[in-house]
Amino acid sequence: MDNPLKPYPATIVKITDETPDVKTFQIVFDDPGVWDHFRHKPGQVAQISVFGVGEATISITSSPTRKGLLEFSVKRVGLLTGALHQLEAGSKVGIRGPLGNHFPYEEMKGSDLLFIGGGIGLAPLRALIDFVLDGENRSHYGQVEIIYGARSAADLCFKDDLFNRWPHMPGTKVYLTIDRPEEGWNGHVGFVPSYLEEISPSPRNRFAITCGPPVMIKFVLSALQKLGFPDERIITTLEMKMKCGVGKCGRCNIGSKFVCVDGPVFYLSQLKELPPEF
Amino acid sequence: MRETARQLLREREVGLVIGYAAGSEAYWVTPAFIKEEAQADRLVWNPFCVNSLAKYLINYHHEPYKVAVVVKGCDSRALVRLLQDNQVQREKVVVIGIPCLGVVDAKAAALKIAPGTRILGASVTDGEFLLQTESGTLSLPRGEALCAKCRYCENPTPVLADTLLAEEVAAEPAANIYAEVREVESWPREKRSAFWDGHFQRCLRCYACRNICPACTCRECVFDQTDPCWVAKAHNLSENTAFHLIRAMHVAGRCVDCGECERACPVNIPLRLLNQKVIKDIKELFGVSTPGSRLDEMPALGMFATEDPDEFN
Amino acid sequence: MSVRDFLLTREGLHSWLSRLARDYPLIAPVEEEKGVITFKQVGGPQEIVFDCAPSTLPPKEWFLPSTEELFAFSTAGGGITLQEPPGPKERVLFGLHPCDVRALLALDPVFGGTYPDPYYLGRRKATIIVALSCTKPGPYCFCPAVGGDPVVAAGADLLLTESGSSFAVKAMTSRGEEIIQRYPGHFAPDEEGRGERARQELAGQLAGMFAFLPDLRGVKEFLDGHFELPYWEEVASRCLGCGICTYTCPTCHCFDIFDQSWDGARGLRARCWDSCMFSQFTRMAGGHNPRPTQKERVRNRFLHKLKYHQDRYGLGGCVGCGRCVAKCPVNIDIRRIIGDLKELASHG
Repeated sequence: MDNPLKPYPATIVKITDETPDVKTFQIVFDDPGVWDHFRHKPGQVAQISVFGVGEATISITSSPTRKGLLEFSVKRVGLLTGALHQLEAGSKVGIRGPLGNHFPYEEMKGSDLLFIGGGIGLAPLRALIDFVLDGENRSHYGQVEIIYGARSAADLCFKDDLFNRWPHMPGTKVYLTIDRPEEGWNGHVGFVPSYLEEISPSPRNRFAITCGPPVMIKFVLSALQKLGFPDERIITTLEMKMKCGVGKCGRCNIGSKFVCVDGPVFYLSQLKELPPEF
Repeated sequence: MRETARQLLREREVGLVIGYAAGSEAYWVTPAFIKEEAQADRLVWNPFCVNSLAKYLINYHHEPYKVAVVVKGCDSRALVRLLQDNQVQREKVVVIGIPCLGVVDAKAAALKIAPGTRILGASVTDGEFLLQTESGTLSLPRGEALCAKCRYCENPTPVLADTLLAEEVAAEPAANIYAEVREVESWPREKRSAFWDGHFQRCLRCYACRNICPACTCRECVFDQTDPCWVAKAHNLSENTAFHLIRAMHVAGRCVDCGECERACPVNIPLRLLNQKVIKDIKELFGVSTPGSRLDEMPALGMFATEDPDEFN
Repeated sequence: MSVRDFLLTREGLHSWLSRLARDYPLIAPVEEEKGVITFKQVGGPQEIVFDCAPSTLPPKEWFLPSTEELFAFSTAGGGITLQEPPGPKERVLFGLHPCDVRALLALDPVFGGTYPDPYYLGRRKATIIVALSCTKPGPYCFCPAVGGDPVVAAGADLLLTESGSSFAVKAMTSRGEEIIQRYPGHFAPDEEGRGERARQELAGQLAGMFAFLPDLRGVKEFLDGHFELPYWEEVASRCLGCGICTYTCPTCHCFDIFDQSWDGARGLRARCWDSCMFSQFTRMAGGHNPRPTQKERVRNRFLHKLKYHQDRYGLGGCVGCGRCVAKCPVNIDIRRIIGDLKELASHG
């Protein structure tokens, strides 16, 4: 990036409705050469531009092993995400990134992985899940367990992955829960942190990676500690309001760290060193 | 004032007293929030107590306790304004009124004082402003030292108070309060336009004028909204002008002429002049008094009467 | 070794500035409005305010404009074209005080680093900086308390110091030397070390002239261990939440990015100053706000000045210019804040 504030022109090639307010956008760079130096890693984010409206920081939800395209799952919450939801396949956007740090997938090699997600928080985790489950990478990692919940069955993102793909992968288990009982749902009902305690996974040789609404993260972190996970093996990814994404505009700091360049991925041991402003 | 504050806190009549404490320079004060009797000694009253404190009451309207606030005459208009808008509940406020001969523009005072001079005291009399320093007493004519708003004061005595801490001060006979407005009105359109353009292009959009304004109490200000975006964030003459004109219209009929916007402005935009023009026009059109002068007189643009001017007919 | 010290008479300074104004865009402090001194492009020395108190607004506007275009976009023809504006022409910025030069040094690592910002860095590169030693501190100046020095301007190309009827000129960089060579006849070599003596003499005179020098020792260490302090509530209760302190600060650099478009097909992306004092600054689209009240915002600003900038870049975030002190409508005074924190630190 010779100008870190200038996006690469790109095109939306496919849009999938995940839930009533979440869509997944498949995006390719207009100049295919960009892919060769973009080289994102699981956990990194990018800024998506809707020209004339602005930019938003969105985590890259596709694994870098899926070459040539990027996927972003976007919940409609504000001005920019609202505008993005109005676009159709073929629309022009801008992509700026990859930004921030990534999940420590090298360090995780040889370990079991426990993913705990809530709502749209599964999006950044999905990049790592698909990365470790992909081809040769699979042999480097142990058991993969995914605990995921949403408000209702309709609010579960990535239904195809959850029901049709991941459960059928070797050494992979998916546990789903929704907040309230509803007709047609035979699965677990209850909040993610309490489901986690019910399942009670062993902390032995296992990393826990979590993302979801701030309140869910808070309770999941304390549940993981109760289960005996050490702070160095609990990993989360934070969301802050960002503008520049490159450590200059000054709004995503937590103490002297910037979430955009020093994060978004943090070990719990790191979070405990930071002031509680996230 | 300290005794009043001590008593109110001691008898648990209020949970908080908002007054003035000594500032970091002798010609400045800073708002003080006194919760304990022992802290009441921090309170001061002197001719540099220029800030209007009434708006701070909004931050405490959910508290279970009553709040006492120190008001000058002009500040009491701000309080009336807040009461009329139900921003503040009368039964939750104890008003400590201070009849006042005028407060001093620190900028003017600071210019006259050699840096490093220690100030021992200051007072305002009918005719002059006296400053006691180590090297003797300095006297300035009132007109030079006082804030512009104090040169013709409509309410030297608070219009609303539970306790008055001094003898009432009679209002001066109505002078030509709007002389400056009339002067600008008399200019040709091009000159007026150039005058305001010159000022507005300097605006930093720091929003100090809005944040200090006792008439600006919206929970979400139009200028902070992004969807729809009424005024762009860009700092340029066109957006800055839109900001100031919209703001003047939003506070029309509710601006109490306290002059805090102009005092707060870091780049000396004559905002009081702009607001005075609106006050003057509304007074002429609707025959009302300066907003906040009377608790029983609702804002001109917040009510209607059959005899209101109806120029659209 | 080339001579790096020169002397310039007062008349010489004026004629040099007139020449500079013809050859370059010359930017210098002017009295834009009664009592408001800002850095503007000038036609000649007659417009310049040489008086030494800090300008009302810092010169940061010339490196980080309050609003600037990042690029224009156009969707004509089915694709997207992005066009950045042309870079700045070489220009001379005259009359910065040492605190303002130090402020630029504090901003440089923010806009440099892993993701160099071409807009800021382009302006830095295009600017020849001629600094001016202070001859009298302003009433709210406290640069010595934060490690500054009113007669030292590392980071400038030239430093001018008034000395009697002339100016001592010190070339601090090769670019400074070049500009002196470009104007022969104006500068006389200072072979007897008069400039150095003048600067030392002035430094001695100034030392006693600062009215209020807070003691910063131990304050950062205290803040390192104390994030949560009831003291911040007291400060925040007075704070109006306006942007004066951040917009008059020479090291504050927060910005917002926004798009402007009239028809959706063509438009601009721009950035403009923003302030961590504003309530929406960190508010996310979904409503969550990690710094929800003025207490967190006030604390963030002072910690940024006194701790975070130091932690991140090894440089102080406050240069002691006193502009925020001069302009705060409720007298939140960083000199007092430092003193209060020092007091809190000493009482454990």
